[in-house]
Amino acid sequence: MTRARRPPLGRSLLRLFTVQGSWNYERLQGIGVGVAEEPLLRDLRAGENGAAYRAAVARGAHFFNAHPYLCGLAVGAAARAEHEGATPEQVERLRSALCGPLGSLGDRLVWAGWLPVTSALALIGVALGLGLDAVIGFLVVYNVGHVGLRWWALWAGWTHGVRVAVALHQPLLQRAAAWSGPAMALAVGMALPLSAGYLGGAFTGWAREVLAVATAAGCALLWWGRGRLTGLRYGLALLAVAALVGWLWR
Amino acid sequence: MSLELQLVLLLWGTLVGLDLVSVPQMMIARPIVAGPIAGAMLGDLGAGLQLGVLFELFQYDVLPMGATRYPEYGPATVAAVSAAHGAAGALGLGLGALVGLVTAMLGGLSMYIVRRATARAVHAVTDRLEAGDARLLVRLHVSAIARDALRAAAVTAAGLGFAHLVRLFLAGTLPLRGVTLLGIAAVAAALAAATAGTLRVVGRGASLGWFVAGVLGGTVLVWLR
Repeated sequence: MTRARRPPLGRSLLRLFTVQGSWNYERLQGIGVGVAEEPLLRDLRAGENGAAYRAAVARGAHFFNAHPYLCGLAVGAAARAEHEGATPEQVERLRSALCGPLGSLGDRLVWAGWLPVTSALALIGVALGLGLDAVIGFLVVYNVGHVGLRWWALWAGWTHGVRVAVALHQPLLQRAAAWSGPAMALAVGMALPLSAGYLGGAFTGWAREVLAVATAAGCALLWWGRGRLTGLRYGLALLAVAALVGWLWR
Repeated sequence: MSLELQLVLLLWGTLVGLDLVSVPQMMIARPIVAGPIAGAMLGDLGAGLQLGVLFELFQYDVLPMGATRYPEYGPATVAAVSAAHGAAGALGLGLGALVGLVTAMLGGLSMYIVRRATARAVHAVTDRLEAGDARLLVRLHVSAIARDALRAAAVTAAGLGFAHLVRLFLAGTLPLRGVTLLGIAAVAAALAAATAGTLRVVGRGASLGWFVAGVLGGTVLVWLR
């Protein structure tokens, strides 16, 4: 068993900001996770001509997929397990076991929670006339949560090692996950009419009625045609129709 | 638009494209950030804010989970702002949406190509990776990031080129009704994409009530203004 006296968590955290840089269809985030874990494994270079280090580096770069902000939890936990002499099978099992929960928690907490909440607040701010201040506010507030979550994940992973599941049951994390859905729904719901008012200000008279009909039709088509029709496709099709009608209706 | 400004936009679009997935995911890739900053660079913050809001709404249609393929709206917004620069109101929205949506589609496709190229690069050195070659691991990672930066630059350049063509050949030829209809199409599609995308995430559970409360609250605010 080897214990790093002062683990280079800062270096690992910096590398975690690039964790998806080598995302690919073979190992998904594996290479990036391996790169982030490597500084935490350097203490293992000492014995057996570095065999333990090389084996741990190879394991660290195997297939991995989770939410990028929470990858640090797996990086810290796997590195700690390697230091504590866990068997290769235990480390692989730990990594596999973390993929699902970290992916699902991160998606709920960040992609479907914190990100749409803060970006909707920015939309509301712009629509209410705050301009660039709303945009800067979004960047600052979002990234306080973003960097905080990345740091906490790495720290918790290193602290708990193979018992890292304890960290995922933190009451604060559970409450945040529970509230992220309603908060997102409320914020985006509020941003929609305000954004419509902000963008629709350029139109008057018949144009507003056409806008309302095209929006309602689009909602219905995108709802019933989900999986086949996307916002991008609907947008391109509507622009083509608008250009054609505009050309004919001179 | 001067060559210097185009180069500054190209640099900004590249950083924005790199931020989406690779480094550092601090959300400068979100249209609500990419658009206004591009607008400020062009001295047209109004167009930047307007197109930032428009494409941020389109962005709600996308949940970047797992290996899903999705359009890339960051560099697309930069190109859209370049197309809309100097064209106020409905014309700017219409031209910007046309350029932005095509660029977003191109961006999504380019990500797929780059990810496959990275997979091939990883596959080619599997044996050395399994031997625990840390230097190779880091080199592989850095080269993949460089590949993504090149991709983002290429997508932005293509978008800016398309914006230039649209400004040159389309902007002056559209009839008034055509301009209005293009603007309507852009805003309607963005609002529909955002509403449908949000409802897909919200589902029919307890959050639906919060969504309805938000819509009502937002409507009251619009009415009060």
